Amino acid sequence: MNRRRSFIALLTFGLVLTVAACGGKKRPPALTTAGGEGTSGRRSAPPPPVEEGPDLRPVEGESTFGEDFPPSDPSGEGGPLADIHFEFDQAGLTNQARATLEKHALWLQNHREARVTVEGHCDERGTVDYNLALGDKRAQAARDYLVSLGVAPERLRTVSYGKERPLDSSGNEQAWTKNRRAHFAVSR
Amino acid sequence: MSAAPGAQEPPALERTIIITGGAQRFAVPDCVPRSADQASVEACRTITRVLRDDLAFERLFPFVEDRLLSALPAFNPDAVKFDDWKGIGANVLAVTRAGVGRPKEGGEAELTVEVRVHNVDSGQTLLSRRYSGRADNPRVFAHQASDDILSMAQYRGVARTRIAFSSDRDSGQTKGVKELYIVDYDGYNPRRVTVNGSLNVLPAWSPDGRSIAYVSWRQGRTPLVFLASIFEGKSTPNLTGERGGSQAFAPAFSPDGKKIAFASTRSGNMDVWVADADGGGARRLTSHPASDTAPCWSPTGQQIAFTSDRRGTPQIWTMGAEGLNQEPLTRVGNYNDGAAWNPSKQFSEIAYTSRLEGGGFDIAVLDYATGQVRQITQGRGSCEYPSWAPNGRHLVFSCQRGGTWQLAVADREGRDFRALATGPGNNVYPDWGP
Repeated sequence: MNRRRSFIALLTFGLVLTVAACGGKKRPPALTTAGGEGTSGRRSAPPPPVEEGPDLRPVEGESTFGEDFPPSDPSGEGGPLADIHFEFDQAGLTNQARATLEKHALWLQNHREARVTVEGHCDERGTVDYNLALGDKRAQAARDYLVSLGVAPERLRTVSYGKERPLDSSGNEQAWTKNRRAHFAVSR
Repeated sequence: MSAAPGAQEPPALERTIIITGGAQRFAVPDCVPRSADQASVEACRTITRVLRDDLAFERLFPFVEDRLLSALPAFNPDAVKFDDWKGIGANVLAVTRAGVGRPKEGGEAELTVEVRVHNVDSGQTLLSRRYSGRADNPRVFAHQASDDILSMAQYRGVARTRIAFSSDRDSGQTKGVKELYIVDYDGYNPRRVTVNGSLNVLPAWSPDGRSIAYVSWRQGRTPLVFLASIFEGKSTPNLTGERGGSQAFAPAFSPDGKKIAFASTRSGNMDVWVADADGGGARRLTSHPASDTAPCWSPTGQQIAFTSDRRGTPQIWTMGAEGLNQEPLTRVGNYNDGAAWNPSKQFSEIAYTSRLEGGGFDIAVLDYATGQVRQITQGRGSCEYPSWAPNGRHLVFSCQRGGTWQLAVADREGRDFRALATGPGNNVYPDWGP
């Protein structure tokens, strides 16, 4: 088991190096060959691109092909894929968000059976209708970037919650920052 | 739902004089119980209070002060001494009488209310009505009487109307759960509409008042439009026929009830669509890559106002009901959303939510002809989501004060702001129905 993990970590790290080496902003053809890698771990498509040299590290822990992963709560906290955050009233991805999504893409390539509902959330300061639109844009932005990194579109679904499910209702800057997020609800 | 009292044939109704608003001063003396039993006395007390509130709500005419009313000796409704009422300055006298009938074997107690409206100067009877029905909600009788009296003055009253809204009051410890509720226009008599433990928001009444379209995440946690037929207790899921993971938001029925406008992501981004009321024949009205949402209809059904951020910030736009001639409407402020077109053809104006420099939101109304904007709320906390009363004379919206959201009502000039005590929890997204 340990050996297997090291192998995976090595493989993942190697993948990251390849990715980093590619550089550039070109979008490669999407990785749509679901199941093509199976448990063998062989890659059959070009690696995902990287922009601005984000801080890429291998996904830590048990990213073992085919192994169990904890499902994440819809609109809650936790789960294998961390939330990404947005600027106030913006749906554009920050560099930090891109870096996180790149890790998510790797994780998703290592967990081919995982499906993700990308939830777009807003802080509570906007109006209901426009926040639902903004939440949709945030979810779309996260989804589109994952697809550009080679995640098969059919594994991703987007849902907007607008301002209806804030994580933190304390109504201060820190809470609002936490609430402006895309959450990744993972299921099989 | 609420059993409206069966209105009976009005006996000997003489309808020769129309009350014109303004100078006519109303006297609404205490309701006279038919008998001294407690049920009748209590029903009468409620009817007096509610009828006064209902008639005063529209601010159409002045009232004789309570202290002058109580100065008069007890009166016999069957032999009104008009000179007494003239003496305290009344022009119109609305007399009510009520009695609760004993329940028959196994039957429910029945309340009978009689209303007579007199012209004090001429002694003429302007209106004479008798209502009877279940005794459990005397307020309904007063609401009915008020609307009948106002219709005599050629106004469409709203005392029998209801407001739908979304609330987390029954969510318990579960965060992010909202159900739909209905209350009477005055905030009384809340009733729950949805029971699904999910998120249910943005209710929109059908013009016939028989169903409510709304957005729910209960099916596959995807926001879809549902239709609740509130009298049949029936629910139609995914009314707009979303497929392949597309989402639908912000339903709005056309004034004739034949069409429904909504926002959908089925084209890849959020656009305004229109379909037949049963969801068939969907057509896309906007195709800009920006987000277009929150459609609302003009009173004629010829135009639709909506929110678009195609010029960078959310603003209210208008277009023809087929999507032609898309034009920006709001030009003041950097964030305007949630348009509501005044349903009365008498007032050509659009209410919406507008962000102010301080960051909070207020309700504003834009005069469609002049382009002038007036602020309806100010210093009431953050307020959003306006909806017009069916006669276009008041607005309901939700305001955040002291950490919770509550419904509030103001008239179309922003006067007479009042919070609606609809019940516990956060109460948001009101839609004022027929």
